[in-house]
Amino acid sequence: MKKNFKVVNNLTPSVDGKGLMQGRSAYTDDIAPANALIVKLLRSPHAFAKVKNIDISEALKLPGVECILTKDNVPHVPFTRAGQGYPEPSPHDKYIFDDYVRYVGDEVAAVAAVSEEIALEAMKLIKVDYEVLEPILDFEKAADNKTTIIHPEDGIHEMFPIGFEPKRNLAAAYEMEVGNVEEELKKSDVIVEDTFYSQAQAHAMLEPHTCHAHLDEHNRLVLYSTTQTPFHVRRIISKTLGIPVEKLRVVKPRVGGGFGGKQAFHGEMFVSLVTLRTKKPAKCVFTREEVFGSTYTRHPMRIHLRVGATKDGMINAIDCRTLSDTGAYGEHALTVFMIVGSKVLPLYNKVKAVKFGGQVVYTNHVSAGAYRGYGAIQGNYAVESIIDELAEKLGMDPIKLREMNSMKEKETSPIFEIMGEGTEGTAMIMESCKLPYCIKRGRELMEWDKKYPVKKVGDHKVRSVGCAIAMQGSGIPFLDMGSCTIKLNDGGSYMVTVGATDIGQGSDTVISQIVAEELGTTMDKVIIYSSDTDLTPYDCGAYASSTTYISGNAAYNAACKMRERLIKEAAAELQVKPQDVEFDGKTFVSGEKSVTLDDLSVGRLYNNDTHQIAVTESYHGQVSPPPFMAAFGEFEFDTETYEYKMIKYVTVTDCGTTINPALAKGQVEGGIVQGYGMASSEAVIYNSKGKLLSNTFDTYHIPTCKEVGELVSEFADSYEPSGPFGAKSVGEIGIDTPPAVLCNAVYNAFGVRVHSLPITPEKIFEAMKAKK
Amino acid sequence: MLVKFNLNGLDVEFNVKPGEYLLDTLRANGVKSVKKGCDGSSCGACIVVVDDKPVLSCSVLTAQVEGHRVMTVESIQEEAAEISEYYSRHGADQCGYCNAAAALMIHALKKENPNPTDEEIADYMVGNLCRCTGYHGQQLAIKEYLGGKK
Amino acid sequence: MKAKSFQRASSIEEAYKLVKQSPRNKVVAGGLWLKKGGAEVDTLIDLSLLGLDKIEDKKDYVEVGAMVTQREFELSKLVPEMAREAVKSIMGPGFRNVATIGGSVYGKYGFSDVVTGLLGYKVDLVFYPEAIVSLLDYVKKPGFYDGILTHIRIYKENLKAFFKKVEITALDYPILNVAVTRGKEYRVVVGSRPLVATRCEKTEAYLNEGGKDFAKAAEMAVEELNFGDSIATKGEYRKQLALTYVRRGLEEVSK
Repeated sequence: MKKNFKVVNNLTPSVDGKGLMQGRSAYTDDIAPANALIVKLLRSPHAFAKVKNIDISEALKLPGVECILTKDNVPHVPFTRAGQGYPEPSPHDKYIFDDYVRYVGDEVAAVAAVSEEIALEAMKLIKVDYEVLEPILDFEKAADNKTTIIHPEDGIHEMFPIGFEPKRNLAAAYEMEVGNVEEELKKSDVIVEDTFYSQAQAHAMLEPHTCHAHLDEHNRLVLYSTTQTPFHVRRIISKTLGIPVEKLRVVKPRVGGGFGGKQAFHGEMFVSLVTLRTKKPAKCVFTREEVFGSTYTRHPMRIHLRVGATKDGMINAIDCRTLSDTGAYGEHALTVFMIVGSKVLPLYNKVKAVKFGGQVVYTNHVSAGAYRGYGAIQGNYAVESIIDELAEKLGMDPIKLREMNSMKEKETSPIFEIMGEGTEGTAMIMESCKLPYCIKRGRELMEWDKKYPVKKVGDHKVRSVGCAIAMQGSGIPFLDMGSCTIKLNDGGSYMVTVGATDIGQGSDTVISQIVAEELGTTMDKVIIYSSDTDLTPYDCGAYASSTTYISGNAAYNAACKMRERLIKEAAAELQVKPQDVEFDGKTFVSGEKSVTLDDLSVGRLYNNDTHQIAVTESYHGQVSPPPFMAAFGEFEFDTETYEYKMIKYVTVTDCGTTINPALAKGQVEGGIVQGYGMASSEAVIYNSKGKLLSNTFDTYHIPTCKEVGELVSEFADSYEPSGPFGAKSVGEIGIDTPPAVLCNAVYNAFGVRVHSLPITPEKIFEAMKAKK
Repeated sequence: MLVKFNLNGLDVEFNVKPGEYLLDTLRANGVKSVKKGCDGSSCGACIVVVDDKPVLSCSVLTAQVEGHRVMTVESIQEEAAEISEYYSRHGADQCGYCNAAAALMIHALKKENPNPTDEEIADYMVGNLCRCTGYHGQQLAIKEYLGGKK
Repeated sequence: MKAKSFQRASSIEEAYKLVKQSPRNKVVAGGLWLKKGGAEVDTLIDLSLLGLDKIEDKKDYVEVGAMVTQREFELSKLVPEMAREAVKSIMGPGFRNVATIGGSVYGKYGFSDVVTGLLGYKVDLVFYPEAIVSLLDYVKKPGFYDGILTHIRIYKENLKAFFKKVEITALDYPILNVAVTRGKEYRVVVGSRPLVATRCEKTEAYLNEGGKDFAKAAEMAVEELNFGDSIATKGEYRKQLALTYVRRGLEEVSK
């Protein structure tokens, strides 16, 4: 459904791209006060220990040390660091500093000094008396562990029932069943069963976590942070430090990538406390090692699947049991877990029964948290791999099996109603679903039929292909809310303020495009400012693929309101009825009369009937229309060493209208490569004592440009009626498919299936040895 | 110690510590375009051009650039703006954190090898990590900017 | 890095004097490994005034100054091709414009592609105070040299050469690297095992005596070497890589 858009779905450079490439001071550390105290965090060398005593007396004597925070001098209020709506579905299981440290790298004290050098010296002088305890480093041994309880402390709690049983090392648990899976499996002609281990993954965004705080002339605390959720940060600081919300301001400057890794607290509590106590600006910049080892990772999981089908290829039943490792603290524990089911299983909506459940356990690993895909990539790896296994057992073409069983437009799945974000979900019909087209088109673009399953291309070289389908969501119905204010300037330009958080995905640009389209103007007449809890209206933040759909809809609503308002204003100016006024973005015309927007805007500010023309509108989702994708990957393997490279990766995505086609493609491709990293080269590795070894770019290998083959990324012609100009989300879906695609391609090449990520040449080698 | 060098066409003199790195000296003196992505010689976000050669400024001591010419993106504003246009055509203008360094690399590449093959572009840019774009759009943008031969 | 002073030595004698003064004084060539090591240094000794940044044709050999950067090395037409290929595989140009050949060789790092590549040639190292050591001997003996590496001499030979670096991504340390050359004799070098490169002497003997079974030669090489584990890779897989690439290297240079 191609609409005749003038700005939306047209090539539009991002509003900040040029300035950022030209090196403007715009990121959090760039705009930090030059005289800010430097805050450094002392971190635990033990995976699990009780902090018996901390002596900071020697450290305090060091000249230049202004403040040291420990558990002895900070508020003892449990909270969750997760940036989520209130009440959060994550347990409040974190104290600013606690009696326990729960992973190597956990915070023990914060030192604020006039220079980094002095802060580091002071850290050496802090004496900590640890009672080292036995850690749990194997998530399969965590639940009901006889020796170790990772969260024995009082005061921690869930905000509503999420299966939080800390004495059993459970952060969350969940069960759901539609129909009767055991019955349906009994009736199945063919059953496949398998277990997959997806690994933790590091976000590895280029900009390290940074924040700084200062007191303004109203003595209000102003906090700048690389955060995806400024409003949640404000609320959580308010509740934890006992400061009224109105005394706090949180601002998000330009952010160098988040991917979920900045959707939770890093240094914000510490700089806030330091500034409040010293009255001086304070800054905390994480080192790359801290980003790897003391922020968050993806939740590693074990996913066990049983799938039953009739011999004609209809899938009867899916049973999915999942164990998820949330690490030391429970941020995003339940919600990531649930999405393994809720944003993967509905793909196969024709089943008679489906069951999903399991536990999320604590371990003494780095805390796991939000990460693009948010459970869907882990689930996709398992489900899309086992579907290939099923196809083989049925003697069916794997693409045909998917086509027969997957979601189509106007269909639904009972899972939507049952599974939400920690609570019940929302029923919805797929008003836009071009998955069948995506599969068909992708197959063509890949020339699948020529290449499947494997072809010899040289002495020791073969090429094979693998495929996977995926879905995601667009915001969280009823929980995610965004709002937008539009103010008319003299000269007919619009000042747009939104809470929506641009972390590099381009929401500022996309929102400006939506406003420009609706108001019939051009991008240069739209100015945008975002993510400032003082100056912009509320937005839940950048997560759950919500900025285009939720924040974009809010902007669309505001623009519609503004249009309506302007027409009323013009009508008054021309002394006609509003319904007799036509507006083309520049001029209001009614019969022979007309007035330009330019003149109207100047008149309203300076001349007569003077008032500021401004509107504010909000939006929260009633549904979460999923984007869909079909992915096809071609890889070349060495048949002796099993080294491989990506030749081509084809995706066809249905994200409704692409508001910004180039940026949408950029999102998809960035996601693919990030997912490919998790599938192939990235590995989070600990030593036997729980210390993270993969904590630099030397030891943790994200894809470089040399690892990426030809990417062919197309979009289906689709229109989502509930989305702004027909758009759905596109931020996460790109990441979901590479693990299954690669796993399937390896199987097609060698007949072995690698059940854990990353799928390294070495693992293929081991699997081949085992096969012999 | 005092270190004198030429920064973006201007002779400058900074009082630095012997073990201080060029990245820190530049950022402390207002040059914020140079980014500290990893401080471990691995990510490329700190690239500056010294005597026409791109170097990792997190790994070069300020003392080592005594008497040399140092260039950051502040001195190639128009070129950066033009490169950005190509980036935006391919959706490569995302978080922007790696972009200023990329602009300098592209500038240096153009001087060293004005008509690179696709492989030569990739080999030149390999040390500039990007987590947002997946590189594909970037590589196409650079190829087009340089007038592209296969 | 914490350092008390930075001195640009105006002569090699001065540099050596500073080195001998204290083990806390360190030569900073490119300075990359110094930074990674995180050492606290008294005096950083800089050699950039000493003219050690030239690559010169010295009739029987090409003499590469220790301060020549990896990038200068890889772009020089005087340097033999396989050695250039080995250096080109390291990181990106921004790194190679800082790293020096001297720094790469002196540390004889296990993962070094430079050392593996150079061991395919006849290479001598020149130290101050006057000492000339073959690269092979230098790599074999424990410890470093008490002096400053000033030049690397790559002898000119008519050679067929092969180099392979196995890595997880292009910016990785190698899981394994292999260099094979054939001139008047075969040289088979395997490095990053994870230990530093070494020549496979028994295998070379077999080949130089006329042995033509390259698969057998590769097995011999794997037999005489030891392979270990690193954080992401086990020795068993390294063996498979060595087996494959020694054989392929021999096939390549024997065409």
